[in-house]
Amino acid sequence: MDKNPILRIATKILFAPIILFGLYVQFHGDFGPGGGFQAGVIVASAFILYAIVFGLEKGKELFPLNINLFLLALGGILYGGVGIVSMLLGDEFLSYNVLGSSKQAGQHIGILLVEFGVGLTVSNVMIALFYAFVDFKSSNGETK
Amino acid sequence: MFLAALTACAVSALLVLARIILGKTTFDRVLAVNSLGTIIVIGIALHGFYANRPEFLDIAIVYALINFIGTVAILKLFSTGSLKGNNK
Repeated sequence: MDKNPILRIATKILFAPIILFGLYVQFHGDFGPGGGFQAGVIVASAFILYAIVFGLEKGKELFPLNINLFLLALGGILYGGVGIVSMLLGDEFLSYNVLGSSKQAGQHIGILLVEFGVGLTVSNVMIALFYAFVDFKSSNGETK
Repeated sequence: MFLAALTACAVSALLVLARIILGKTTFDRVLAVNSLGTIIVIGIALHGFYANRPEFLDIAIVYALINFIGTVAILKLFSTGSLKGNNK
């Protein structure tokens, strides 16, 4: 059954550290290189690697398509929601200053939430693109 | 010191590029592209060390990661004709 043991075991070992590194890039984005987009791509690459090595079925078992699309939309809603909340608190759209007790705290919370929304959306768009292209059916109906 | 390391990187990159151009089989080329990626990772790390900017190590790690995943994907595509199967 196991034709590529090195690949499988390397994937199993690498999977969690890749996601950890993605989270590091996500939350370290204020101080160094990184941010939502890069972190999203790194986290997505872990799931894409899993789906490449263990097959698309196993990948979809690990991360089902409906959860994928739900989280994809949730990231956008989180981004827009922060803007709407700051509007409801009496300032302009995406004005972070009113979100916390002080201006600094507000900026911190706002940037964290918006970057988290961006990361969520980017990672799930990448995974959805991978699923869509791998499952691509040619015009005469046969899967490639 | 930096110059010597960079020259070593450049020479090995040229050798690997020659293998990419001349490569007899597809797998030679894939292996050569993977090696070129590794050399570029070394170059990024060297630059980060020389410029006193340790953040470049993060970029080097990401580059190595994408290099690995890309190689696995290309090899699977060439050996099975699709990314879909489960490698059995």
